[in-house]
Amino acid sequence: MSMLDFMASRKRPRPGELAKERLKVVLVQDRVKVNPELLEQIKADLLRVISERLEVDEQHVEITMTREDRWDKLQAAVPIKRQKITFEWDPPYYGPSAEGLQGPLQVEVEREEPSS
Amino acid sequence: MDSRVITITSGKGGVGKTTTTANLGTALAMQGKKVVVVDSDIGLRNLDAVLGLENRIVYDLVDVVEGQCRLRQALIKDKRLPELYLLPAAQTRDKNAINSVQMVQLCQQLRQEFEFVLIDSPAGIEQGFRNAIVGADEIIIVTNPEMASVRDADRIIGLVEAAGKPEPRLILNRLRPDMVRRGDMMDVADVLEVLGIDLLGIVPEDELIIVATNKGEPVVYDKRSRAGQAFMNAALRILGEEIPLEELMEAPTLMERLRRLVGFGPAVIGKRTRSWPS
Repeated sequence: MSMLDFMASRKRPRPGELAKERLKVVLVQDRVKVNPELLEQIKADLLRVISERLEVDEQHVEITMTREDRWDKLQAAVPIKRQKITFEWDPPYYGPSAEGLQGPLQVEVEREEPSS
Repeated sequence: MDSRVITITSGKGGVGKTTTTANLGTALAMQGKKVVVVDSDIGLRNLDAVLGLENRIVYDLVDVVEGQCRLRQALIKDKRLPELYLLPAAQTRDKNAINSVQMVQLCQQLRQEFEFVLIDSPAGIEQGFRNAIVGADEIIIVTNPEMASVRDADRIIGLVEAAGKPEPRLILNRLRPDMVRRGDMMDVADVLEVLGIDLLGIVPEDELIIVATNKGEPVVYDKRSRAGQAFMNAALRILGEEIPLEELMEAPTLMERLRRLVGFGPAVIGKRTRSWPS
């Protein structure tokens, strides 16, 4: 990145840019009746379901409405805390060979921490 | 006759619907097409004045719909182009003087006489707007690169979709290349990104439009006018010709380049790096 580019990138958004960003937000609100309370409810619902399986970093969950082309999108960024994922289920019974697998099964999956 | 009914609309008022209708109609007629421009802005007629035909009106659209005259009697022939006609709006009635069924019938009648029926829609999203689009095969949305107009355009796109019409095309009107270059105005890409429809034309802000309207001659006649050229190109695109979109960005002036060099003035436009929260 050249010095000039660096100086340019530090600048505050130009009015034209600002108009576009403001428009994107206002158009989502115009088209879909989504208010902040509804988003909070959706966030709580999502957290409840995901937390059953994964340990979620609740402080950094982000739920936003965005717009691409003519599609409004609900985007959820849900950071996961723990490295180990534990889940439990009753395996299906497949016949004699699965006899040893009856009853609840504990599975542990080693998960790599993302590099970022 | 294989004809196309095209409605020009915008939602917001004052963005250039009537100017666009007059110029596209004139441009299509200049290309040898048989064209009628219809002013559906009942109570606020203006298309007649833009075309310089304001003192020839005897009957109007409402008279035709109500059967007070025949269609031929209400059609006004253009001063210059033998293939261009105007169907004026009524000035002393309101927008509820006609209904959607009557409008569809009127469009059917006009189809038999003309290759192109261009309907100038009133501003707003009420009955007048609904009448304007009900008989249309295609919709053209006019917008300016500013928030209120683009927001209204988005609303209109939704209503056009809901009415079961094909996706409208956009004419971005009154663009100011100098402001875009400074970053003070949304550029073409910004508006397209927000609205997500196809572009039919980009028309720069041009003082010659007011001059032309004052004279009652659409600006497409004026070879010097960049807006006039842009309207002609849009008309050619309607006819299916592949005309590249106008390159409106002039090279930055020496002063602007100097200012950038020393680090003042706006950021370089083009590929943007975005370091601020969105």
